[in-house]
Parts: sequence; structure tokens; C-alpha cells
Amino acid sequence: MAIPMAMATPTDSVTRVWSMSSLRSALPSAVTYRLPSSTSRRLPVSTPSPLLLPSFSGLSPVNPLISTGLPDWQSFESGFKIIDGGGRVYAMRHGRRVPKLNRPPDQRKALLRGLTTQLLKHGRIKTTRARASAMRKFVDKMITLAKDGSLHKRRQALGYIYEKQIVHALFAEVPDRYGERNGGYTRIIRTLPRRGDNAPMAYIELV
Amino acid sequence: MSVNNRDPLVVGGVIGDVLERFTRSIDLRVTYGQREVTNGLDIRPSQIINKPRVEIGGEDLRNFYTLVMVDPDVPSPSNPHLREYLHWLVTDIPATTGTNFGNEIVSYESPRPTSGIHRLVLVLFRQLGRQTVYEPGWRPQFNTREFAALYNLGLPVAAVYFNCQRDNGCGGRRT
Repeated sequence: MAIPMAMATPTDSVTRVWSMSSLRSALPSAVTYRLPSSTSRRLPVSTPSPLLLPSFSGLSPVNPLISTGLPDWQSFESGFKIIDGGGRVYAMRHGRRVPKLNRPPDQRKALLRGLTTQLLKHGRIKTTRARASAMRKFVDKMITLAKDGSLHKRRQALGYIYEKQIVHALFAEVPDRYGERNGGYTRIIRTLPRRGDNAPMAYIELV
Repeated sequence: MSVNNRDPLVVGGVIGDVLERFTRSIDLRVTYGQREVTNGLDIRPSQIINKPRVEIGGEDLRNFYTLVMVDPDVPSPSNPHLREYLHWLVTDIPATTGTNFGNEIVSYESPRPTSGIHRLVLVLFRQLGRQTVYEPGWRPQFNTREFAALYNLGLPVAAVYFNCQRDNGCGGRRT
């Protein structure tokens, strides 16, 4: 059976029993057929490295690490919300102020301190989406302390970040780098789920 | 196809840090071994020791293209003062062929990121004629925009990027 290429329109491949056009018409995605970089991001889970679903394999997205014997991966334009076992998923966020990250408060604080230290050290890290979106507040806080630059703020930063070299480097370079920017010092890019537990991952980087 | 703000190159910061906004006109396929490179893919340095197989589209064999591979996050994404590092430069690639048919003026150097997660960008430019592009003097502090302006390459016709971090993890905590 011929493997259909993403470059052709879906109705060209008459060898397939099920055609993509019915799925495409049902889903709200704008599809482009160029590879590898064009993709639609209107669905909640869509990744910067898309994959093709060349044949119908149920409603679960094709795991790229499971070998299906296909020699070429083409662009995949629609993804499905990946719901992992355990957490209840609601549509609303009413009253939820603090992300708990499944940890008691002391561990949570330590986790966030470690993550912000590593982000400030490396500039870009890959972690789970919940942790990435929870850390934004603290990274912005550290950069704001560095923007102020006074001794008191420096000591406050030293009390939070685990490595003091990073604090001193931060206080040295932040005025040049983020002098004009008001807030929003990080960027989160969602990516493919982790292999071991299918956790949704994301890159978080300093803008 | 219009490039909106959700395009992976914009989201990943490639357009902005390395390139200007452009419209794709040529297909670009980069394959390391069995894996085809899509935007934002995570690849280990052990898989990119050897140069990839690059195939480009287009129609006319008389058009020549230049492929540039740079790393904009050298030496570390939090402190990229050596931006960008030139890893590979192939010129005079005829349309519809690959880099094997081109002139490799800067040989492929496999990326070995020491700190953080680096983006590696492959950009394709269209040349005005044959043998109009010459090699730069050194690899670090390369500027893709200036390079394109210097040799009249214009806006890119295709680009793809992937992520790479060191094999053994972040290296632990060191003072």
C-alpha cells in the first residue's frame, strides 16, 4: 500500500480507504502541505515538530517513537488533547490561585528555586508544561530584582537562587538585556510528550 | 502560505534572532540517518556527528542555492556572546538536488553544545549565479543577515531548526 506524502492533497491518494478530508473538515485546523515547518496551532496540543498521520489509527495521536515502519515522517497538522491518567481535567480554573505541582509546600518551593536557578544558568530548559508555567512568575521576579540592582535586592536574590555566581552574573547583565522590556521575560514553547510517562513537555527560555 | 505568529520559526525565536520574516518557496528536507528534522525536534550530539542528507525542491536545475547551518546560542543560550557559530556552508546547490552536488566551502563541524539547549538552524538562500559566495574568515560571530546582504542572497527561501543539548545531562551543579 502506497504511503501517501504530505505534499499531495489528501484526495489524490485513492489507495487509502479512509481519506483525511473528512477528518480535516471536522477539525478546525488550517492545513498547509509544505514540510517541515508549517503547522497549525489552533488546537490545544500542537507541537513545533509535527508528524503525519498517514493512515487512520484511531483517535490517539501517533507516537513518533513507536516504529510503524514508515520511512518518512511528514507534517502532521492536528493534535488531540493528551489527557494522562490521574489528574481531573476541567474546562474552568475557578478559584485556583497557586499551582501545587503535586508536592507539599516546602518541596514545591525548592523545586521552583531549582528550576529558576537552572533557567537563569542555562538560558533554556526543557521541563513539563505545568512546571514551566508555574516558574514564570519566579523567573520574572528574579529579573525584576536584578533590574532594581540595589544591595537589598541582591541579597533577596541570593536568598532564592541556589548559586551565587548566577545572581552576580544576572545583576550584571540584566540592565543591558532587559532594560527596555517591561515584564514577560520568558517564553514557553510546547513540545512533544515525554516518552516514559507521556507527560506534556515544554521548553522555557529567557526571551 | 502566509506566515502567522504561530509559525514554529517565529515561536522558536529563529525569526528575530537569526532571520527576517520570509515566505517559504522551496522545500527543504534534512535527514540525520533515519530521522527527518522537523522544527523544534530534539536531537542528541551523538546522532549529528556526520553531516545530514539535505534535499531541496525547486524546479529549475539552473537555479543555485546556498545552505547555511548556524548555532545562535553559543556558548550558552543565557549568554550568547559568540552568536552565531557557523557549522556548515554549502554553495552552488542546484535545485531539486542535495548538498552532495554543491560546493562545501565550510566543512561540516558536528555541534557539541556544552551548556544549555542550543538551537541549530539550517537556512537556504537562493544565489544569483554560480560561484558568487565565498567563505567567511572564521566560524564564531557569524551574522546570517550580514552574510546574506553581503552576497546579495536576499531573504531566505526555506529554514528549519532543531534543538540539541549535551548527551550527559546538564553537567550538574558546579560552583
